[in-house]
Amino acid sequence: MANYLAQFQSIKSSCDRLVVSIEDVSDLWPSIKEGLEARLPLKKATLNNRTRNPVHVENLPAEFILTTDARLRSRFPQEQYLFWFREPYATIVLVSCEDLDEFKTILKPRLKLIVQNEEKEWFIVFVSKADPSNDQATKMAKKVYARLEVDFNTKKRERCCKYDLHGPEANFWEDLDLKLAECIRNTLDKRVQFYEDEIRKLTEQRFMPIWNFCNFFILKESVAFMFEMANLHEDALREYDELELCYSETAGTPGKHRDFGGIDNGDDQAALLNPGFKQLTLIVQDDCFREFEFRQYIFACQAKLLFKLGRPLEVATRGHSFVISFSKILAMHENALPFCFREVWVITACLALLKSTTSHYDGGVMSPDIEREFYRLQGDLYSLSRVKFMRLAYLIGFGHEIEKSPANSAALSMLPWPKPPIWPALSPDSSADVLAKEKMILQSKPREKHFNIQRKVLPLEPSLLLREANRRRAFLSVGNISELVEGHANDGSGPDANSRLTSKNPSYMSRTFSGPTISESRDRPMTLSEVYVAAEYSLKLTVSDPDLLNSLSSLEEFEKKYMELTKGAADNYHKSWWKRHGVVLDGEIAALHFKKGEIDQAAKSYEKVCALYSGEGWHELLAEILPNLAECQKILNDEAGYLSSCVRLLSLDSGLFLTKERQLFQSELVRLAHGEMKHPVPLDVSSLITFYGTAGPALELCDGDPGVLRVTVWSGFPDEIVLENLNLTLSASFGADEGVKPIKSAEKHVLKPGKNIITLDLPPQKPGSYVLGALTGQIGHLQFRSHGFSKAGPADSDDFMSYEKPTRPVLKVLSPRPLVDITCAVSSALLMNELQWIGLIIKPLDYSLKGGILHIDAGPGLKIEESHLIEIEGHDPAEGFEKVPIEGGKVALPDWASDVTTILWFPVRAIDENIARGTSSALLQKPSIVDGMRMIALKLDFGAFRNQNFERTIAVTFTDPFHVTTHLTDKSTDGTLLLQVMLQSQVKAALNINDAQLDLQDGFEHVAKTDRQPTFRTFPLVISPSSKAGILFTVSLSTIEEETPQQDSILNLKYGISGNRTVGAHAPILANGEGSEEMVFKVALALQRPVLDPCVAVGFLPFSSDCLRVGQLVNVRWRIERLKNPETDVSASCRDEVLYEVEAQPQNWMVAGRKRGHVSLSTAQGSRIEITVTCIPLVSGYVHPPQLGLPEVGEQNISCNPAGPHLVCVLPPTLSSSYCIPA
Amino acid sequence: MIVCVAVVGHQNNPLYLESFTGGDDALKLHHIVHCSLDVIDERVNNPKRSASTLNETFLGLLYPTENYKVYGYLTNTKVKLIMVTTDLDVKDADVRSFFRKFHAAYVDAVSNPFHVPGKKITSNSFSERVGTIVKSFGHSMSL
Repeated sequence: MANYLAQFQSIKSSCDRLVVSIEDVSDLWPSIKEGLEARLPLKKATLNNRTRNPVHVENLPAEFILTTDARLRSRFPQEQYLFWFREPYATIVLVSCEDLDEFKTILKPRLKLIVQNEEKEWFIVFVSKADPSNDQATKMAKKVYARLEVDFNTKKRERCCKYDLHGPEANFWEDLDLKLAECIRNTLDKRVQFYEDEIRKLTEQRFMPIWNFCNFFILKESVAFMFEMANLHEDALREYDELELCYSETAGTPGKHRDFGGIDNGDDQAALLNPGFKQLTLIVQDDCFREFEFRQYIFACQAKLLFKLGRPLEVATRGHSFVISFSKILAMHENALPFCFREVWVITACLALLKSTTSHYDGGVMSPDIEREFYRLQGDLYSLSRVKFMRLAYLIGFGHEIEKSPANSAALSMLPWPKPPIWPALSPDSSADVLAKEKMILQSKPREKHFNIQRKVLPLEPSLLLREANRRRAFLSVGNISELVEGHANDGSGPDANSRLTSKNPSYMSRTFSGPTISESRDRPMTLSEVYVAAEYSLKLTVSDPDLLNSLSSLEEFEKKYMELTKGAADNYHKSWWKRHGVVLDGEIAALHFKKGEIDQAAKSYEKVCALYSGEGWHELLAEILPNLAECQKILNDEAGYLSSCVRLLSLDSGLFLTKERQLFQSELVRLAHGEMKHPVPLDVSSLITFYGTAGPALELCDGDPGVLRVTVWSGFPDEIVLENLNLTLSASFGADEGVKPIKSAEKHVLKPGKNIITLDLPPQKPGSYVLGALTGQIGHLQFRSHGFSKAGPADSDDFMSYEKPTRPVLKVLSPRPLVDITCAVSSALLMNELQWIGLIIKPLDYSLKGGILHIDAGPGLKIEESHLIEIEGHDPAEGFEKVPIEGGKVALPDWASDVTTILWFPVRAIDENIARGTSSALLQKPSIVDGMRMIALKLDFGAFRNQNFERTIAVTFTDPFHVTTHLTDKSTDGTLLLQVMLQSQVKAALNINDAQLDLQDGFEHVAKTDRQPTFRTFPLVISPSSKAGILFTVSLSTIEEETPQQDSILNLKYGISGNRTVGAHAPILANGEGSEEMVFKVALALQRPVLDPCVAVGFLPFSSDCLRVGQLVNVRWRIERLKNPETDVSASCRDEVLYEVEAQPQNWMVAGRKRGHVSLSTAQGSRIEITVTCIPLVSGYVHPPQLGLPEVGEQNISCNPAGPHLVCVLPPTLSSSYCIPA
Repeated sequence: MIVCVAVVGHQNNPLYLESFTGGDDALKLHHIVHCSLDVIDERVNNPKRSASTLNETFLGLLYPTENYKVYGYLTNTKVKLIMVTTDLDVKDADVRSFFRKFHAAYVDAVSNPFHVPGKKITSNSFSERVGTIVKSFGHSMSL
């Protein structure tokens, strides 16, 4: 059966669609052909798939072929059976007949003959040629068709349809399509069934010797092909999948040795997407196929179907894993394959997959997930081909041009060398090439890292190429000269070590190993350049792809291709959201850009890589790439970027660089900061300079106080660094107070490496609690800013996550509160007009008053005696006592008094020019306190910077020592009066009266007729605080008139006082400090002569009602009567009208009438008038009633009834029910 | 043989990385571990595809390359444990048990009161313990 393979292939290639045969019985084809073919491809058809489930197929391609056609006639029955898939899937019988008899006799038997073949799926199309106008013919045609239907239709199936040449019926074509589809479906089912039976039969023989994979393949592919023709791609794909599985099992069976293939010219170009790459007959071997070609063939078929199904993603998925697995298979057969065949195949396979999947990928309606997956696979394919391409380039000596980055090292150093049976040897005529290579090696310098960073170069090779190559040359024993030479240089530093070795000893090398003597010494070890040349030579033999050959031909072409692959991988990875893969490859692109001098682009890419690494804290990787970025920035003159890179380099783990290197970073930074920059550059140094508050509780300050803040600043610089100035912002820990001003420190700070403690003057802050905000400052033109807050210094600062906000407050500014209290120490009144001590209790409230100055400002009527020292004593006198001067009202508080409560005594004198007046006892008048009140304004400036102040005005009362009242106790008939003078002590101190003398006014004289009242024996009279004493004087009226009439009587009291200044009044201060001198108190007394000759009488009339009540109106009435004839007296009182005035105590009475006015009173003696004023009593109790006064008539001319003040009773108001709340 | 094990924090920051190649080429392993985070991210962010393994800590093979394999493991705290091996035929069960031991060691290491969460693991005993686990993995493989 394997012989049929060639035939099968040719049949398969010649037929590409379903065939429908036309049995043209009545020569109708030419007239109907056009109409029928217009129906193709079939718009809709329902077919059954492998699992016999109906599937809707659209646009099913088909072809009409006449049964008389050569293509159908020439086949042998056996052939037909074997390649059944190409046989017609339906037969349309075209008939036409206009005569019933003719139908019965001729046509019917003939049709029966045609359709008797059971395997054929057929239906009859009756073509009516009758003109619609010809009724006869139409009728006949109908009859014949009816007959036809009867004869050929069965109950189950209608097999006839009628086509009218002159205007077919509307539903004819649909009917035709349905019938055609039905036939195709049935045939397909039958054939699938048939093939499956055959396949099953064959499968049962799987493990028998007669098993032949080729037969199985033909059957399986026939089915697949059939499905493919029927547009059932899914099923076709499944057939191929099964075929692949079966092949793997067959190929995997041990025992038979089969050729692998892949040794033909052009095999190195992967054919995994080209099913027609090789004739299957060429790859057949015994009963099976060569693995190399066949696997690619199967994959190509699968890919074709997948593309037809619109699944480029699946092609990529399958393709990627196919490449990987096939690469492994190639590795197993590497012995038999050309040098580097595997690498070349993988590159071409990946590129082919990329090309075809990209062209088929329309990016249409796809979920983002799928889209990402697609790009990821593209990236993987690019990446895979890139790695293999680098390997090839390395083998031919471009290794030194490949960046020794971690990514390249990871890809190449774990990728084993190709394992040819024998490493390619040098061809005899290649000495010139060897020299050229050597030259190239010598010229290439290992790229020096910026900042002279000494780094171990990452390897790009799994083991030394030189050793590997020489070892693989089978006839060389281990331990040759090359190995010995390598022994010195083999420090694991890869090809550079070798190239250095070669460059160090060029004369030695050339003398020994290279030169025109190569051909003579085939058995000596090759030098590296020879290895390169040999590899290049054999690689050129392997590679048939002109593009790839071109890419490996020169360094420029290599770089071009390398860039293309790297870019492709990076772009696709970016699209697939594999940002790390993408960005790392960006770094590789950057390296290439850098080499080409496109620094700008290189810097951009490097920045991306650095951002990625630093964002996730991969410092080791960052340390590798950051110097490159710095170099680019330096070349580009990007000062800010360069500085930032220097800072970042410095802030990396200190173990990643040598101290020398770190010092270099710093010196670069300082050099730039101080020298070259024209404009200030802001820079974030959060990772390099961190700061934190000192340990312990936060600094607490009272509102308005400045302070000194200690901050620990940790410097990551390897050397000392000078900061021109330093500012620190504090931020309120609660509430967003944006207006916090930075604390400035203009002085220079030198930061040592590591921990530094810096003190900053803190201006007064608003109340609240503050945490450290940001540290800013300047290094030269560099304005740096650090948010880096570290909790405990360098141990933590290595981590990028230490940018957390500090939580512990460093400063607490307390809300405003009283810091000091000043009160008056004296509780009772002091002596008026005498020098008295006033005590101030100064009480600090948890706040030092150190350096405080008290301003004392005495108000009017008060004078501070500055000639005296001020006494300051502690609350407990043991705490301290000091006398301090007062100057200009200022007193400086002594230091010892700053934290304790002290009493400050200072001497004052309250001045009252008015002489004290005694009052009549009947009036019950008390001296007003207000008269003796004096104000002292105090202001205390304190705090460390006198920034705090306290102001208070205190009131001090002064008083006369006595309140004097007089009372006329008795009046004897001889005109002698007994005048009682009562003295009430006003102070809280014992008063002792030594002498009392009354200077009487005019009209009175002492009974004794002497100037002086005789001294009582009771003197000195001691009056206790708040008690009273009385002195009786006997006076009589006199008639002697003096030239200077004295208005008042003056009582002179000589007294002393024994009081305590802490309580109140005390002996006045004297210059010598003693307070025992006698004092004189003068008081004026107004004595009234009795009214002896009244001219007007005023009588208070009784109230109309018995009782007065609060709130009740009451009429108060007085009667005025003229007692004298006015002719005898021409004073003002004798006019015919009188001025009156009602006086009432406002707290007791409300006067509702006219208080003051004139009333007419006849001048005739005895004339009377009554004055009525309505009043309302306001308080209950015994109160003085309103009094009527006549201001124009002298008091001595008025006779009153009752004579003196009297009291009336006022009852409380009656209860008002309206305010009662019902129970 | 296991060439590298790593612990990566939940912010994808390296917490611990130990190379067992013996050579001075840890940087390339840094690169491999770092890149494998792409795969972990994708798996974690696309729970649809890994619905069955939603509650599974073992992420399985992350990275089938020709020459080495990267396996991943995700703890509840989103800390990633990553292992790179050059053995191309490793049993999943072996890797699972390796990660279980590795996870236990990690948990012990971070339970140390002197360890600052989120910072690099610098404990020597952790390093020794990981070394032992890695060795025993190679050993069981050879058996």
